[in-house]
Amino acid sequence: MLQKSRKITFILAIISAIIGLMLAVQVRSNLNPVPSESRTIAELRTALQKELEKHKNLLADISKYNQLYYQYETALSEDESLSVMKEELARNRKMAGMVAVEGNGIVLRIVDAPRHLQQAEDGHAAPLVTGSYVDDEDLRWLINILFANGAQAISVNGHRIVSTTAIRNVGDVIQIDTRTIQPPYELKVLGEPEVLLSALKLEGVEEYFHLANKQVLAEKRENLIIPANQEQRTIRYMKPVKEKGDS
Amino acid sequence: MWLPLIGLVVGLALGFLLDWRVPQEYSSYLSIALLAGLDTIFGGIRAFLERTFNVRLFLSGFVSNTLFAAGLAFIGGFLGIDLYLAAIVAFGVRLFNNLAVIRRIVLSRWINQQE
Repeated sequence: MLQKSRKITFILAIISAIIGLMLAVQVRSNLNPVPSESRTIAELRTALQKELEKHKNLLADISKYNQLYYQYETALSEDESLSVMKEELARNRKMAGMVAVEGNGIVLRIVDAPRHLQQAEDGHAAPLVTGSYVDDEDLRWLINILFANGAQAISVNGHRIVSTTAIRNVGDVIQIDTRTIQPPYELKVLGEPEVLLSALKLEGVEEYFHLANKQVLAEKRENLIIPANQEQRTIRYMKPVKEKGDS
Repeated sequence: MWLPLIGLVVGLALGFLLDWRVPQEYSSYLSIALLAGLDTIFGGIRAFLERTFNVRLFLSGFVSNTLFAAGLAFIGGFLGIDLYLAAIVAFGVRLFNNLAVIRRIVLSRWINQQE
């Protein structure tokens, strides 16, 4: 009887051990459960739909911002081309004489030759009925020499010489474009001073003007300022010819 | 008398130490088996208090209840019938029934002792 009851308790112990094991496993499995899904399929479908829509919206956002980014990029490069265009415009305006420019150069003054010198050389006879004044051709010749020897910009008595400038005699005075100038003539020339001076010497400018009883005083200058062309110039009778490949 | 309790503690400790995890889809079968086991235990306690305890009956009841509960739930899963719900209801009802009987017996004995 005692043996039997011991056997029973033994069996009970084993069974309770098994129960304990099952309990422990169950508790363990449920302690950190995978978050179980309590929603129905329909709910899940609508949720999925919502998320898909959100995803689509986000994708649209991405593409939108990409486009914006692309626009900014192109705007940036256009900006660059704009600055290039501005540079080109500034250069062209400078070349065309539409802006005042500054640099190294020389100043030429054509003044009356001193009397005593002239007397010493020519005596009394030579003077000077004919060549006593400088005419338009002299000036054109002088300016042509200067341009031919690398002058970048020239002004005569404050009038900028550009490609369309006309120099001519009107009555007794020289007119540059529409303005008259009076002697003494003063030419401001931008360019390499040495080159210009030696060119003047080589071309015999001094002697040439001496015949007209004038003296050319040349002077090197730094930071010589040449004013802009004042003329109103309208573009007429000309159109740019479009070349092939020109956009 | 203390051996079953010690066995319970040992089983719990073993279960926690072994760190078994039942996969989510089999979790319900284990819970059914556990419920059946608990029902058998309380049934045994009741039988003991009623002095009709039979070790063989108890043992066979424990094994067959747990196995059949889990097995039927499993088959029900295959057939698309929620048999484990039936098992839960049946065993739950029986569990509370047994608990009520045990309470009455203990209470009547305590009253008898008082008198």
